[in-house]
Amino acid sequence: MFDFAIAGIAAPIILLVFVGFTVGTVGGFIGVGGGYMVTPALIVFGFPGYMASGIDMTHIAGKGVIATVRHRQLGNIDWTLALSMVAGTMLGVELGVRLLVHFKNLGISSVALLITSVVVMFGLFLYTQIETRRAHLKAEQMSREGLKVGREIQTSSLPRLFQKIPFFPIVRCRTARVVVSMWVIVAVGIVTGALAGFLGVGGGFIRVPALVYLVGASSHIAVGTDLLEIIFSGGYGALRHSIEGHVDMMAVLFMICGAMLGAQFGSIATSYVRGPAIRYILSYSLILATCGAALRLAYVLTGQSVELLSFFAVMLTLGEMIFLCLFIISLVWFATRKKHGKAVPPWVPALVM
Amino acid sequence: MSTPKALRWFVDSMVGYWVLLLVISLGAAAVIYEVWFKGRM
Repeated sequence: MFDFAIAGIAAPIILLVFVGFTVGTVGGFIGVGGGYMVTPALIVFGFPGYMASGIDMTHIAGKGVIATVRHRQLGNIDWTLALSMVAGTMLGVELGVRLLVHFKNLGISSVALLITSVVVMFGLFLYTQIETRRAHLKAEQMSREGLKVGREIQTSSLPRLFQKIPFFPIVRCRTARVVVSMWVIVAVGIVTGALAGFLGVGGGFIRVPALVYLVGASSHIAVGTDLLEIIFSGGYGALRHSIEGHVDMMAVLFMICGAMLGAQFGSIATSYVRGPAIRYILSYSLILATCGAALRLAYVLTGQSVELLSFFAVMLTLGEMIFLCLFIISLVWFATRKKHGKAVPPWVPALVM
Repeated sequence: MSTPKALRWFVDSMVGYWVLLLVISLGAAAVIYEVWFKGRM
């Protein structure tokens, strides 16, 4: 057990290293900084809400750099798209941090963060489930008809709608192969930035679906571009949270140690799987994180009197992280087997390269 | 070595595979909580 003096709690070091490793792997793999699971997880493990948000934001800023370098090598970053979004993102982060400080002063930061996490994550789960299911069915149909299944399968008609918005200036994003009004990109930046600043997340779990379903980028470009954006939102957010006294640097340090390894492995794993698989994992990690946060919320709202709620909250939160690691490792293993002509389960070819 | 027929569903079906992974993960988390974290957090 390590005494985190600034956060005011004692927690095992290995727990924070494991949390860092898991979100590093998942973050490198799906482009989501992992904050959506870290903030509720740290609250579940006993950290105060505002402290969980600050620690999460600070560790993400460091991890984003590592994962971005890897994605740049893989050609997954659209610089025009990312740089067009920066101003909106930073404005949003400032709004989010100020809102969190307001709730902290009211003494309800944990409850506000848990409620927001549950609502946002469940909404995203439903949407990505529907979209991903449609993409998977389309891939299976194309396989049956003998057509070549590409790396990316787009089923949503929303990108076409947003790309028709005629407000000047119109931006041509060559890597993402998207032509869209800059105001659409800035608006995505403000909304995702506000959520990032408030929840202490990089904002990837909103930004990746937004870039895919609203702007029309492919999953892989959305992942790489989002990671570059996280350097800006995470850097600015970390600075703001530090000024407000929301950061315990020892906790951040232990999490970054785990995240360094995880981010490298997760980034490499993206070259083994197709877009729908990435969104499947995003979707299921969201629902598991939601259940853990909801149980912790119930525990807090019942006056911390029902120990069973705390047990299940911790079990689901830890279980979710182990599940994600196993799933990503096994998908890479199946992809390697397929590449070498060995037998794989019948559902695997539609998900891996 | 062949997989027992009763276990084939857990590998051949995507849902089955997820169920298998989820059970293993939650079980491991429960054991870790009981052995390591209970009474310390």
